[in-house]
Amino acid sequence: MTPLSVVQPSAPEALDAPATPPPRPVRWRLLLGFVLPIGAAVLWEAAVRSGIAEGRLMPPPSRILATLVDLARGGELWWHVQATLGRVGAGFALGVAAGTALGALAGASGLWRALLDPTLQGLRAIPSIAWVPLFILWLGIFEASKIALIAVGVSFPVYLGTLGAILSIDRKIIEVGRIFRLSGPALVGRIMLPAVLPHYVIALRSGLGLGWMFVVAAEFMGASEGLGYLLVDGQQLGKPAQIISAIAVFAILGKITDALLVALIAPLLRWQDVAGRS
Amino acid sequence: MLALRAVSKRYPNGTRALADISLVVDAGEILAIVGGSGCGKSTLLRLAAGLEAPTSGQIHVDGVPIAAPHPAVGLVFQEPRLLPWLTVAGNVGFGLAALAPAARAAKVCAALARVGLADYAGRWPRELSGGQAQRVALARALVTNPRVLLLDEPFSALDAFTRVDLQDHLLDLWADTRPTLVLVTHDIEEALVLADRVMVMRAHPGRIAGVLTLDAPRPRDRQSGTFERAKRQLLADLGRAGTYRPGEEAFPSAAI
Repeated sequence: MTPLSVVQPSAPEALDAPATPPPRPVRWRLLLGFVLPIGAAVLWEAAVRSGIAEGRLMPPPSRILATLVDLARGGELWWHVQATLGRVGAGFALGVAAGTALGALAGASGLWRALLDPTLQGLRAIPSIAWVPLFILWLGIFEASKIALIAVGVSFPVYLGTLGAILSIDRKIIEVGRIFRLSGPALVGRIMLPAVLPHYVIALRSGLGLGWMFVVAAEFMGASEGLGYLLVDGQQLGKPAQIISAIAVFAILGKITDALLVALIAPLLRWQDVAGRS
Repeated sequence: MLALRAVSKRYPNGTRALADISLVVDAGEILAIVGGSGCGKSTLLRLAAGLEAPTSGQIHVDGVPIAAPHPAVGLVFQEPRLLPWLTVAGNVGFGLAALAPAARAAKVCAALARVGLADYAGRWPRELSGGQAQRVALARALVTNPRVLLLDEPFSALDAFTRVDLQDHLLDLWADTRPTLVLVTHDIEEALVLADRVMVMRAHPGRIAGVLTLDAPRPRDRQSGTFERAKRQLLADLGRAGTYRPGEEAFPSAAI
């Protein structure tokens, strides 16, 4: 009789057995995102076709698509898209330039920050649409006032993002630069700019988002072309399909420009150690 | 040669981090500085590196006054502080921007080989272990060939195995060009294994409480009788150096 039971070591072949590789992450999960919108579209189409819903104010997808194709065939769509893209582009560029310059200035020294920040925060509190009447008086009804409005909308998030990024640079990293006797432009170029970049990209993206928001407001104030004009025109002439078409184009353009911005900067951020990777 | 003459440092909040410190570290000497937290040992290093200015007194390296970071003085921090947007090679070559790319690449390559990371030149800092990152930091500080290398608790964040490994490695690297080393540490064994002299510091205000000279040749056997005796003496010195105030750490050997 043995007083102790001995635990048998597990069979060695169990250790040698090749580990089954984990199943590849399923790519079709990406398609899951399409289920809701496409499902809703199909349901609505079916409801209108079967006569359950009327579809006059909320046209079915087929009619929206037909409107889009119509607009595209006539060349009209490109004309409007071009006008809107041009305004967003110009306003975004101006807003980014102003926001970055002011943010860098306020981030560079406490003195500038004390001088600039309260005023800018005050201006930021004004709903940007409130500038519209003034901009029209100052700059006229054409392009200048529209671009100015977009630039104002873009500049504030870029200013805030730039300033916040500069203020959050790790002192320890700056010290590395000092140990190697960097100062002035070299310290900015070799330490501060790369350190600021990840935050700055986020500022640019929110700026771009606001740019798209404000271009609609700008085009509501009396434009004769642009996607915003299509919206107003659709409302006044009772063409809901045209309104939804324009909205869809906004969604697509917004997504594409954001993706372009991210793709342009991605090579500069390969070094990042972030949770979003892998 | 690093010389401090009557150096004091008082911070704006009134803390006297250093009071009247005079000290000469000879060329090629390894000096370890030990002491409890708040005794001013890191402040001393930051002053010698030129990152901060003393309130009074002078600091010279080979006769040159140090008022700002100087090319002859290198500093390794407690954390590797690698720049995350540069590759390992980019980090090591950071202080060599004045060199032509080819000359820089050659120096970086040699420095990385010297710390055993020749295959890691293209990696990002995030892909390194703690010990590897600190090796890269060592290579970055040594590649410019400083005459004085300051190390601020460089191995304290590493596990025991890696630490011993890097201590040996540091001696190896030091043997190449024999710079003056000043090593701040809270690890008594580390001080005793590496240093020619161990300086004990005392807080409130930060001052020198004693200096222990070690004659034993390196590499030193951590198990030998001399080593044990030196360790006991140092612990006794530290015990005396400690001004026990409520809430302040004492000096049990395990904690130091």
